[in-house]
Amino acid sequence: MPERYPGYDVLHKRNSQSWNEQTRRVIDERLAIDPDQHRFFTEEEWPTIRAVCDRIVPQTVARPRPVPLAAMVDEKLHRNSGDGYRYADLPPMREAWRRGLAALDAEARARHRRRFHGLGPLEQDAILAAVQNGDVREHAWRDLPPKSFFTKRVLHDIVSAYYAHPTSWNEIGFGGPASPRGYVRMYFDRRDPWEASEARPGREERARRENARVG
Amino acid sequence: MSRADAALDLIANLALAGVAAAVVVRPKVVSRIASSPLLPKATALTRGAARRLRPAPAPPRPLARAKQKADELARIISRYAPQAQRRRQEVARSAGRRLNGSAAMLAFSVLADSAVEHYRGSFENRAMYTPLAAAALTLGASLFGAADARASKHVMRDTIYASAAAAGCAGLGFHSYNILKRPGHWSWLNLFYAAPIGAPMALALAGLLGRGAERVRDIRPHRRATVLGLPAGRMLAGVTAAGLAGTVGEAGLLHFRGAYHDPFMLLPVTVPPVAAVLLGASALHPHRTTHRLTRWWLRLTALLGFAGVGFHAYGVSRNMGGWRNWSQNVLNGPPLPAPPSFTGLALAGLAALSLIEEAETDA
Repeated sequence: MPERYPGYDVLHKRNSQSWNEQTRRVIDERLAIDPDQHRFFTEEEWPTIRAVCDRIVPQTVARPRPVPLAAMVDEKLHRNSGDGYRYADLPPMREAWRRGLAALDAEARARHRRRFHGLGPLEQDAILAAVQNGDVREHAWRDLPPKSFFTKRVLHDIVSAYYAHPTSWNEIGFGGPASPRGYVRMYFDRRDPWEASEARPGREERARRENARVG
Repeated sequence: MSRADAALDLIANLALAGVAAAVVVRPKVVSRIASSPLLPKATALTRGAARRLRPAPAPPRPLARAKQKADELARIISRYAPQAQRRRQEVARSAGRRLNGSAAMLAFSVLADSAVEHYRGSFENRAMYTPLAAAALTLGASLFGAADARASKHVMRDTIYASAAAAGCAGLGFHSYNILKRPGHWSWLNLFYAAPIGAPMALALAGLLGRGAERVRDIRPHRRATVLGLPAGRMLAGVTAAGLAGTVGEAGLLHFRGAYHDPFMLLPVTVPPVAAVLLGASALHPHRTTHRLTRWWLRLTALLGFAGVGFHAYGVSRNMGGWRNWSQNVLNGPPLPAPPSFTGLALAGLAALSLIEEAETDA
């Protein structure tokens, strides 16, 4: 698939008027996350969460800076900074993840006699689909509702982490934090000079030129 | 003319302005009142009362009559005396150049404002370049006119002013279309956020005042300049008063949008309206108004136009990121070049007032 925002890099805005000191600090911290660092997940859980992340948001295209998904989820759980709410049918965030990952591994062992990360992509997808549909066999789930765990924890935390990273912002043409500079031309099909330019058919070169000037 | 009369006159003019506003805002109610049978009766009654109240004029004594004749003769002689003519020409030339200057101020305001706002609108329509060209030409012509000491009009300036007036009127059409094409059409939301309906009139005013300037400075012996058959001073005072009223409407609309969050935002809806009414009164009844008050009030309005830039600059600094984030805040914050249009109009009003006063000296 061709790039939708060719040549756009949200980090060009880093030293412009778009971002201030606070914004730079937050984004710098996010970019400094080591993909292998885990402080919440145990050595046992780590390969499992990495495998789950790879199936939920596969990053197949070679990227200079892939989103360190598992490490970002780990960071959130390590700081235990919640969303401000909890679904009544799920236990608190940390407990839900621990029990959910253990149940996933148990489910994989029951079906294929291997742990989740040892399976091929198709088998992994089949297990995740079963969890999504509530079609699980293993006792390890006990009172943890698999459907809710999948949509309210797995999808929610991993996808949120993905779209909190500048690499995905470049992919979707997002301008990052509007702080302090926000947007002026708030009308259909208008673009501020500091916004990403979309490569609609026939104007790819123009979009590339305009994206080179974003700052 | 006594002070009490002047006050009464001011009240009458304010009432007139109120009636005019009522005609615009509530035309139906006004027409109902106008067609009621009570009105002619009331008018006849008032007229009769006024006739009875007025004392009969005493027959002039012979000596007084002779003095009156002599005074009249002296006035005619002085009107055609070379000294008086020179003075009259000097006033006209200076007023003409000052009118050129006021047109320059307005054109500058329009040029800067339309450049910023149409850049914000991404020049979506090619026609959005028109006010930039028209205002730039008007600015150049007006500066030339203000610097030009010759007491004559210039075809080039006159043509540019006429095209600026035409461009301003066309702009009104474009801005109306922009409002009407949006969902909601004529709604407060669109009046607040679509193309500003009053802005193009500033360009039209610059053109009109410029044309007036050319008319005034084009001096003919023994004749005062006229516009559409009326004395130029009174005509220009009327145009300026109307322009001030329109600009007040524009500022009122946008400051209301800004919820008058700063008390100083009330100034442009309180100071210039008084100037507009005083100037309008001078245009309608030049002999019965106090020009001194009008002049000072116009000077205050001119000052306010300058101060407004300062207030707007402060407004920009109050937006997130302040002046460091200028590329957003200059577009998003209060428009810096808008307030000087009050200055331009007030200067035009002062020039018109001096023409009115000059015409009064030998009336």
